[in-house]
Amino acid sequence: MAFIDNIIHGKGLKKSVNSEKYSNDKLPWYTKTTVFKYGNFGIFMFGIIVVAALVAGARIYQGLYGFEHGLDSMSQGFQDYWMTLVKAELIGIFSFNVVLWLYLWYSRERDMDNVKPEVELKRYINLVLWILSYTFIVYWTTSYFAYADGAWHQTVLRDTSFTPSHNILFYGCIPLYLTFGVGGFLYAMTRLPSFGRAISIAYTFAVLGPALILPNLGFNEWGHAYWMTEEIFSHPLHWGFVVLGWNALAIGGVLMQIVIGMSKSFKKINSKFADNSNSEFTENL
Amino acid sequence: MSKSESRSFFGKIFRMRSEDREILKIVGLNKEQAGLARYFDFLVVAAAFLLFCGAFHLHVMLSAGDWDMFIDWKDRQYWPLIIPIDTIMFPAAVQAAFWYYFRLPIGATLCGVCLLTSVWIGTYSYWHLWTMFPIVLNVPSIIIAGCILLDVILLIFRRWIFVACIGAPLFALTFYPSNMAALTGYYVPVEHLGSMASMADVIGYTFPRSATPEYIRIIETGTLRTFEGTSVWVSGVFAAFVCIFLYMLWWQIGMAFSTVKTWSQSPKLKKYLGFKG
Repeated sequence: MAFIDNIIHGKGLKKSVNSEKYSNDKLPWYTKTTVFKYGNFGIFMFGIIVVAALVAGARIYQGLYGFEHGLDSMSQGFQDYWMTLVKAELIGIFSFNVVLWLYLWYSRERDMDNVKPEVELKRYINLVLWILSYTFIVYWTTSYFAYADGAWHQTVLRDTSFTPSHNILFYGCIPLYLTFGVGGFLYAMTRLPSFGRAISIAYTFAVLGPALILPNLGFNEWGHAYWMTEEIFSHPLHWGFVVLGWNALAIGGVLMQIVIGMSKSFKKINSKFADNSNSEFTENL
Repeated sequence: MSKSESRSFFGKIFRMRSEDREILKIVGLNKEQAGLARYFDFLVVAAAFLLFCGAFHLHVMLSAGDWDMFIDWKDRQYWPLIIPIDTIMFPAAVQAAFWYYFRLPIGATLCGVCLLTSVWIGTYSYWHLWTMFPIVLNVPSIIIAGCILLDVILLIFRRWIFVACIGAPLFALTFYPSNMAALTGYYVPVEHLGSMASMADVIGYTFPRSATPEYIRIIETGTLRTFEGTSVWVSGVFAAFVCIFLYMLWWQIGMAFSTVKTWSQSPKLKKYLGFKG
């Protein structure tokens, strides 16, 4: 835990901030910033940096081994470099997902009726950070690596469904955006009363729609294997991805729900301080 | 040195004006809460940019991608018809959410900029560097001019129905002219194996796409060529007509997506989630 605290707050900083011998004047300047006080900005940035490193690694891997070992699915090189990658991605990412989702469930709020507004406010900001992380990997999936798939299939005729572009896009990126999509959904349901009391339709669509792209892959691959061998991007075979991708727009509804929830938290906090000028509440976060 | 002079660069940009203080007083936020609201704004802006870059690009790529990607697919019949029809959907939806809730007339332009940004990043990184197609083969369409018009019409008339009836047709009709300057060079006629072709055609013949052979290229297949110079405007007017209704539909879809609605939760699950009552 100390290691994680150091990542989030800087080495020894949490300890020094909480220590009584430090007055407010002696604290580093950044401890007084909004970013430091609200939400777990550090750990989400750490997650985004890890995803960015995975994305960069995937791009380099495709560049190095795409044409060298990715042209013939019957070759030993293809099995070694590309099928091993698929197995590692599916086992590694889904194992991590199960652990994370179970952690979110078991560490849930046990008294939702009495969550303090200050804590609720902090959790709303954490939820926005979940959504930011989700959109970060959604971009790499639906734009960057999807376009890579287009470039590959214009160039190389497929002889398998596990092409070098698919192996990153479908079996790496999509499980990874499920990490953040389902993770954020669980976080909201288990920690925020407004999301736990009733199921948010917008959030359900925003997570479920893009998640269904993975099973829709079955139809896509079936179509390419038995029906349409050439590559027309705008072919109806691909429209399932399009319609499911539209659901990502429902993030707008989730953000509106967060805005409403934050406004209510502000009002609850302000009712404690009639003069509306007290900043005490932020120091207790 | 006065206080305003001693501020940092960002401090000067984001300093609170007297008008801002008045607004905060009315809505009942103190300074720290206003800081939190601004922090929230920055996170949302970053998330929105990434979301529109990804989702809009996926939409265009898989529903009209061929005409958007390749220079030799940018014909006078289908390209001015399909791209405006396909690309007006997201701007309409995003305009709805941004305008209705925040009175921000930037939704369409934001979509246009996000699309072009994400397309170029992918084009350079993969089409050019990985599969080594030349950039001249992969020139994306630009919809930003039409998007600016949509936002301006919304700002002037302040009603979505006017944007649907005036802005949407303009979006479609300005598409071809606003791309013309960038594409003129590709329409230069050249002789190819004794026949006349455009420069764009020759580029397409020279760099073969294994999975898109020439026989499936969908360009100018009908009799529209007999209209000669006016063919592009026939397509443009048809696109304008369709865009009116698609704008209306997608405005409503945008509103539906940004509305807060909930399903009732089962009592048993509520109990597991920590609700006592």
